[in-house]
Amino acid sequence: MRANFIFSEVWIGLRRNLTMTIAVVITVAVGMGMLGIGLMINTQVGMMKDFWYDKVELSVFLCGKNTTMPSCKGKSITTPQTNALEAEIKGMPGVQQVLYEDQAQAYKNFQQSYQANKALVEATRVEDMPTSFRVKLTDPNNYQPTVQALQGKPGVAQVTNQKDLVNNLFGLLDQLRYGAVGLAVVLVLAAALLIGNTVRLSAFNRRRETGIMRLVGASNLYIQLPFVMEGVISGLIGGVFAAIVLIVAKVFLFEEISRYFAFGSQLAWNDVAWVITLTMVIGVVICVLASFVTLRRYLRV
Amino acid sequence: MIHFDNVTKVYANQNRPALDHVSVDVDKGEFVFLVGPSGSGKSTFLRLVLKEERPNSGAIHVAGKDLGRLSNFKVPHLRRRIGCVFQDFRLLPNKNVYENVAFALEVIGKPRRFIRKVVPEVIELVGLEGKAHRMPDELSGGEQQRVAMARAFVNRPMILLADEPTGNIDPATSIGIMKVLDRINRTGTTVVMATHDAAIVDSMRKRVVELEDGKIVRDQSRGVYGQAY
Repeated sequence: MRANFIFSEVWIGLRRNLTMTIAVVITVAVGMGMLGIGLMINTQVGMMKDFWYDKVELSVFLCGKNTTMPSCKGKSITTPQTNALEAEIKGMPGVQQVLYEDQAQAYKNFQQSYQANKALVEATRVEDMPTSFRVKLTDPNNYQPTVQALQGKPGVAQVTNQKDLVNNLFGLLDQLRYGAVGLAVVLVLAAALLIGNTVRLSAFNRRRETGIMRLVGASNLYIQLPFVMEGVISGLIGGVFAAIVLIVAKVFLFEEISRYFAFGSQLAWNDVAWVITLTMVIGVVICVLASFVTLRRYLRV
Repeated sequence: MIHFDNVTKVYANQNRPALDHVSVDVDKGEFVFLVGPSGSGKSTFLRLVLKEERPNSGAIHVAGKDLGRLSNFKVPHLRRRIGCVFQDFRLLPNKNVYENVAFALEVIGKPRRFIRKVVPEVIELVGLEGKAHRMPDELSGGEQQRVAMARAFVNRPMILLADEPTGNIDPATSIGIMKVLDRINRTGTTVVMATHDAAIVDSMRKRVVELEDGKIVRDQSRGVYGQAY
């Protein structure tokens, strides 16, 4: 009886303010979708950091025949020089492991990384590849002293820290995340205001009924519940659309990202499910709060 | 049943009090007319009984409850013991007679079986048998007021407040309305009726409380509308 009554009231209210309801649904959907994408980027970046920071190393490129770096002065590195350099790096504090990558190995890696670009692979010969030392540090965050020590040594063309490259990517993703969350905050605010307006309209449309309900002693909850339920239902529908947005984002955005940058560390479906649950709860809570705040102002009990 | 002790009510932004140190007692089962010119405080009196307004000073007891100590949470329960009838009927235009009366019980969560049993009884009590499925706009003013009275009485309140119930109704029909109010009063319900209608007050010979500028100027049992008449 009670439930029946409330749901018929809710249905009437939603239908009467159909355009407002649609506006609420869209705003909640986009807002919660953005929030969800922000959270998913967060999770993804976390996983990528774990994956990459384990693997980052310093690359010490050595001077070859065709190296144009000014530090080589046009001369190729000699074998004794290479051996001396290797011994020296091994002796440095904080160095865990040193690997020598010769031209053949470098060419193999190159071929693998640029599989898609056949023309480039075909145009490149083994002799074009630089030789290098791959230096693994015990503490990847403390790379500055090692880099400084190696830079400018005879036979060293260039020292690159992979962490810098990875950090560029993370920076980009961080900016995406801030953008998404910022947009979400603005949209959540808009959604709250829209819900407030919708509830106000509903309260005005039904002032006759609520007046009589008040008079015959219906409890506050009973009077307010239909209005709050309107907010909850629009919030839930918006949440469902947000969930669709997030699933699409997972398939077309995050799986693409992880294919290129984070082999083996894909955002899992249970992460997505968690984000969807969280955004739905936030969406509904915001709708309920907005409804209650408005009701306190426009529906005297 | 209703006890006002030195009650003063001043509305915000107004200097003159709507009720000025009013003390009055209404016993269980009494029928009281509240008379006086417009703005004399009759409606304020009724609103205070319903706890729609709070007095600035003084104490009000209704049905054994001190309204000053009654939390907002319990106000709905107070209102379930008080029925209300107004000059403008306040029916729901999209519900028929039966549904209008049943609405009052639905929204306080009464079971359907109880509603099915009680509503036809009350519709008969107010003299609308056979019209349960009419819409309000198919009824005359007098009939609409009977629906409103049925709705006010269906939950068997201890008190019935009527704010000029005959204000929109011609004198001949008003007699019928008063008969219904009298019938309700005979079931033991206390009735307080604010009115301008001298003929009705004179014919009923009930207690009359006259207000003027927020003060009680006369309280007579078996009184008439004005001494001049």
